[in-house]
Amino acid sequence: MAKILIVNASPRAPRSNSAKYAALFARACKKPTEYVALPASGDAGAVGSFDDCDALLLTFPLYADSIPVKLLRFLQSLAQTPIRHKPAVSVLVNCGFLEHDQNNCAVRQIQLFCKEYGYPFGSVLKIGSGEAILDTPFRFLVKRKIARFARAVSQNKAAAFAVTMPLTKRMFLRASTKYWLTKGAENGLDYAAMNTDAIEGN
Amino acid sequence: MNLILTDRSLPFLCAAENDTEYIDLTKQHIHNCVGCFGCWIKTPGRCVIRDDAVRIYPKIAAAERLLYVSRVCMGGYDVPMKTLLERAIPVQKAFIRLVEGETHHYQRAVLPKTATIFAYGTHDSEERELFCDIVARNARNMNFTKHKVIFTEEEFLETAVREEVASWQRS
Repeated sequence: MAKILIVNASPRAPRSNSAKYAALFARACKKPTEYVALPASGDAGAVGSFDDCDALLLTFPLYADSIPVKLLRFLQSLAQTPIRHKPAVSVLVNCGFLEHDQNNCAVRQIQLFCKEYGYPFGSVLKIGSGEAILDTPFRFLVKRKIARFARAVSQNKAAAFAVTMPLTKRMFLRASTKYWLTKGAENGLDYAAMNTDAIEGN
Repeated sequence: MNLILTDRSLPFLCAAENDTEYIDLTKQHIHNCVGCFGCWIKTPGRCVIRDDAVRIYPKIAAAERLLYVSRVCMGGYDVPMKTLLERAIPVQKAFIRLVEGETHHYQRAVLPKTATIFAYGTHDSEERELFCDIVARNARNMNFTKHKVIFTEEEFLETAVREEVASWQRS
């Protein structure tokens, strides 16, 4: 049975939320999966063989409103790599903002790549509040959506899914402030220290 | 202060006026962001990677007028500019606010600024539209009060940038 190759293009691949989403996907997927953490070079050769894969899943965070540079390098490298059977490319993208639609430009970038280099575009899952959602009671919403997404990817369907925390914006702002304050406190920082306007000390 | 960042060498810019700084990204050593969030939760406003980026992102924050020159790749900035923009995250805070009804990070001392982006290397209308949309989204996160994207052929880049910079001196 052909496999689904999961490529994690997060800048902090081993410790990333993208890795956690990839693991949930692999658990939910009926087809065999292979997981690769993309090296900083983005070298497509480092990912291994595409011969026995019929779907490529790119999992990554939104970075400066678009795809991370590591993924950009990978796509540039993939564009130069001769591949006999081009797998369908699916996308699992997350951003730290509440609105999952903030991922739209990144998805369009992958669609553009597919169109230009002859790869079928598969399914997409856009996750909002993706930095923290797995550590909240809303984790089940992500798991449920990933299960549906995994079914679509393994059946080679083109489908679109999205999930985020079911919070009002005001509630999200409060929750995100609390989340980041907890992270800062782990390093001995309080609100005033984290809220500094100084950049490089000035 | 005016700041010009380019992903190809435009030597005539070295002679720009005193209030204009030109940085050729091809001559800088800038590593990829590693996504550690250190600039938010360990050393706020400072990147843990001490390379050329730490000299450049404070200038982006302090500029009142920006000019970027970048090749377009997959509908976004090509590697040199994108690498720098990802490393500019220390100018933002971890905390989130609403901007035009959408959630975005607070800025540190980032001056409001106008931005002109010279984009080259694409003729594809879909790719151009996507690039404009990405720049419009960056505008919300980088305190652009006004921005424009100018698509040009690579061979006309120097002339186009020269005209733009000359227009600053006239204004």
